[in-house]
Amino acid sequence: MFLTEEIIRLKQMTVSDVMQPNVPWKVSAMGETDLPDLLARVALQDRVAFHALYVAVSPKLFGICLRLLKVRNDAEDALQEIFVKIWYRADRFVGGQTSAMPWLCAIARNHSLDMLRSRKQETENLDDEMDSLVDDALDPEAQTVISGEGRRIDRCMQELDPDRAQAVRAAYVDGMSYQELAERYDVPLNTMRTWLRRSLLKLRECMDR
Amino acid sequence: MTKPDQSEGDRARDEVLAGEYVLGVLPAEKRQQVEQRIRCDRAFAAMVARWQENLSSMDDEYVPQVPSEAVFPQVQQRLFSRGSQQAQHSGFGRRLWSSAPVWRTLALTSFLMLIGVAIFGLQPPSSLKTGGQMQAQLKGQDGTNISLLANYEPRSGRLTMMPVANPQSEPKSLELWMIDGNAPPVSLGVIPDTANGDVIVPDTMRRRIANGVTLAVSLEPKGGSPSLGPTGPVLLSGQMLAR
Repeated sequence: MFLTEEIIRLKQMTVSDVMQPNVPWKVSAMGETDLPDLLARVALQDRVAFHALYVAVSPKLFGICLRLLKVRNDAEDALQEIFVKIWYRADRFVGGQTSAMPWLCAIARNHSLDMLRSRKQETENLDDEMDSLVDDALDPEAQTVISGEGRRIDRCMQELDPDRAQAVRAAYVDGMSYQELAERYDVPLNTMRTWLRRSLLKLRECMDR
Repeated sequence: MTKPDQSEGDRARDEVLAGEYVLGVLPAEKRQQVEQRIRCDRAFAAMVARWQENLSSMDDEYVPQVPSEAVFPQVQQRLFSRGSQQAQHSGFGRRLWSSAPVWRTLALTSFLMLIGVAIFGLQPPSSLKTGGQMQAQLKGQDGTNISLLANYEPRSGRLTMMPVANPQSEPKSLELWMIDGNAPPVSLGVIPDTANGDVIVPDTMRRRIANGVTLAVSLEPKGGSPSLGPTGPVLLSGQMLAR
């Protein structure tokens, strides 16, 4: 079994080996296919597997924390919380049905975003009028989760105005709020909100085609 | 939950809200409201899951960074130090559940039990000649949450084995769930602790039990989960495969 070899290798490694940046096996030997296996073991409270999982994915998850929270200390606090959550939630990961890496990234993003948003205590007194958007309403049949839509989102992003695609990307990748996006693109807050909401509807419509 | 009369406008609104949540643009309070809704509204949770999957290709933009060496020891400290007995306790329980020796012991016990029944069946003791039903609860080692209730009907020779929750500080039930992909678990019903353990799947769910879905059994308060999803630990799970 691969995992046994992995564990042996881990035991032979010192902490400094493990923490070295760019240790090649981290990426090459720990492919996506092995993460569900590790998660399954973590769900059974296997601490060796938990360490192997940490070694395999902490750089990526820390990259997310750092990009969203900007401050290194905050990002490390977040990473700690994220791995505590992973330990407790590993049993909710259903292997084979969800990809492991996006699942882990979502935990990291959600936690970092919660921290980011509560840090700023923004007062977005936007009134929730979305009536103007309803024209673009969705196909009611398009409700089921279609797996393997994967990269179609990239094509759909290209169908958006470049500005708006960039705003969607900045919101997702940098965790920018409506207010920050409005300032960056120099448009009123409500305009930015309409941009993003319309973009989301267009993306959904494109994905459903 | 999707109501039959839900308008397209509502659905579009929900799609946008789910997308905004995954993008991350919502303020803190709104995020919490959405998270609350994800927990109790399956249709909405599915929308969020789909956005999550769709937008996850942008995760590629996050460049891996190496955290300080102090982080992992801190995580370990939080999870495994003496202060966190709870984690260790539940860990023990779960390890027990995944432990082959426990299951082998249980299997052997039931096998011996069957042999015993077979022998008694051939030469029934006087108590059985009356045709009275008999029952045994087959338990694993201490700390397990589930046992098998063996009901023996001497006349027909039928021995039914039924999973039941072990009585704990308060009565518990076992609840059966179906998990389809990213969607939240859907209850198929509580496993009855009378009768023969049959769970009759509701009409609306029958077509949804398809090849590849996961069935899981969780430990719940007596009568089943008080909320829409499981609230207790998942004791057993497995994938449904066509035979």
